[in-house]
Amino acid sequence: MKHGWRTRLFWPLVLLASAAGARAAEEFSFDSSEFERKSFEIGGYAQLKQEDFFFNSGAAFYQLNNFDQPQRERLDRTTATLQIAGKLRHGIGTFDFRTNSDQAWDQLGHYYDNKVFEAALSIRPDPGLTVEAGKRVLRWGKGYAWNPIGFVERPKDPNDPQLAREGFVMVDGDLIFNPGGDLQTVAFTPVLLPVNEDINSEFGASGHWNPAAKLYLLYRGTDIDFAWQGKGSRPARYGMDFSTNIVSNFEIHGEWARILKFQKPVVDSGGQVITETGDATSTLLGLRYLTASDTTYIAEYYRNGTGYSEEELRQFYEFIGAALAQLGQTGSTALLQKALSLSQGSYGRPYAGEDYVYLRVQQKDGLGIVYFQPAITAIVNWWDRSYQVTPELLYTGVKNLDLRFRLSFLRGDASTDFGEKPNAQKLEFYARYYF
Amino acid sequence: MKKLLGLMLCLLALPAAAALDGNQILQKVDRNLEPESYEAYRKLIDIQPDGTKKEYVLYTIKKGRDKVVALFLLPASDKGRATLRLEDNMWLYMPDVGRPIRITSLQSVTGSIFNNADILRIDYTAEYNVETAEEQKSAYLLSLKAKTGEVAYDKLKMWVDKQLLLPVTIEAYAASGLLLKTLRFKDIKDFGGGIKRPATIETDSPLYKGYKSVMLWSGLKKASFSDEIFTLNYLPRVQELRK
Repeated sequence: MKHGWRTRLFWPLVLLASAAGARAAEEFSFDSSEFERKSFEIGGYAQLKQEDFFFNSGAAFYQLNNFDQPQRERLDRTTATLQIAGKLRHGIGTFDFRTNSDQAWDQLGHYYDNKVFEAALSIRPDPGLTVEAGKRVLRWGKGYAWNPIGFVERPKDPNDPQLAREGFVMVDGDLIFNPGGDLQTVAFTPVLLPVNEDINSEFGASGHWNPAAKLYLLYRGTDIDFAWQGKGSRPARYGMDFSTNIVSNFEIHGEWARILKFQKPVVDSGGQVITETGDATSTLLGLRYLTASDTTYIAEYYRNGTGYSEEELRQFYEFIGAALAQLGQTGSTALLQKALSLSQGSYGRPYAGEDYVYLRVQQKDGLGIVYFQPAITAIVNWWDRSYQVTPELLYTGVKNLDLRFRLSFLRGDASTDFGEKPNAQKLEFYARYYF
Repeated sequence: MKKLLGLMLCLLALPAAAALDGNQILQKVDRNLEPESYEAYRKLIDIQPDGTKKEYVLYTIKKGRDKVVALFLLPASDKGRATLRLEDNMWLYMPDVGRPIRITSLQSVTGSIFNNADILRIDYTAEYNVETAEEQKSAYLLSLKAKTGEVAYDKLKMWVDKQLLLPVTIEAYAASGLLLKTLRFKDIKDFGGGIKRPATIETDSPLYKGYKSVMLWSGLKKASFSDEIFTLNYLPRVQELRK
């Protein structure tokens, strides 16, 4: 009773302290039994993306793709994406899948696209042996923006290289050895990729079982891969890559690939197409450097052996000009159809030139804001000096939510790689929620 | 005379008896913290100055002195990411990217004050030499110097509990002498199988004023793994190891 007034005075503080203690205990509790592996798991993300395209109406590719359409200055597109990934486990086997569904709306219409990116059964009788069958994404190579030895995958977008892509149906395996000593790891990955009218038709010519293989070595801390793909739906090719740390914050990597008897259609300004056949050699050299202030620099030089020289690209753009002139003068679309056909092939690849330089600078915790990452990416066609620059803001501070804003500028003179692309600018924002 | 001789012998023997073998203490710290090969679950909690938190749960396996794999189980945005460390080399596998990329010890895959060297920590004796060992009232103070320039922290000051031979506090310094972070080991817990160690590690850094990160350990036990698991090719399949 004597201390009653003190108790009354301090009990809110005692309660507060107890509550704080309880809260601390609660926030720091952790029981691993909650995280036992389940036989079935499912997850993925839902994403809403807004894109605004600002067209370069004078560009060759814009005019070619829209010669029979009303001319537009811009297009606003909203895309809803649902990506679902799951795993089903039983004994030594695992079935996993990843599906991707897009619904898009813009001023021109409504589009939808549903794809199975991956769906494969894996059997692992031993940690050193895995056999898989189904649709699988195999990503070979050490390049960040380009992968010349990516023989059994769809091309990646250097402007968004981390984007999930669709795989190919295949049978593949993984044999891993640890010899010890300087040769720390040896891993062999054989692949068989069938192509017919119903399966993997985008890969190349039908009627082939395309064999491919990769041999990985970890030798004295350096990653080394040797890759090969036999002649079949595509010409035979082989190559290698490496990646190593010069010092802990400075990594260098490289790739080299040779495609045998590669056929490259080359058009002159009059529309005459000659198919050149020869071995095509591609090379990539790159580095990744992290500063003490958490700025990451990624730089790559890419020599595209299957690409077109500045002069060859100029001739193609002039041919498009001649085809449009023919349309204006005679009403005939014959040359335009030919140009369209070429643009859907190797001339229409996003990076159809010969030499590119890639530079990305990203800052962790930019402006002192944790989980905020500003970045800027530039891709330059080395010969014609046309370029694409993409500033980017990414915030991942909210649990399971990624917010990304990007603005791409494409600049170049007439008859240059980026100067003749249909877009002059592209604004993009997405919110991606993982579940 | 015999007494005098005895006293002299005692005086001569005293420095030798009192001399601390810092390397032996560090070896015991390594083994008392974790078995050489183990599996464990860890929760990383990043606490921002305004009190908001971000949590990660990792499944970790280690073999020998310098092979570590950590797999992200939470949050959903990071689930399936796996990191591998072999000696000084580190890689990160992201399911979306589909292939491992090299990362550095000073980066943080979680973005927290715990960097990759903390998350994929190998034995202290594998990375550091003991420069000096000093006996204090209730702790040994070990001054550790990195064996190579590849190690994340150039110097460590480690206060080791004299009874338990477990770290109490570690200060991590850059080569310039700058204090990078302080790690505080708390909440001694019996994990079973003879493993008794701190279940909580808190860290803060003068470089991130007001921020704090906490690492909680659970399910730590001895385990053996084949070498093939600690390879780039196995990284996408690490989650199949969990029971």
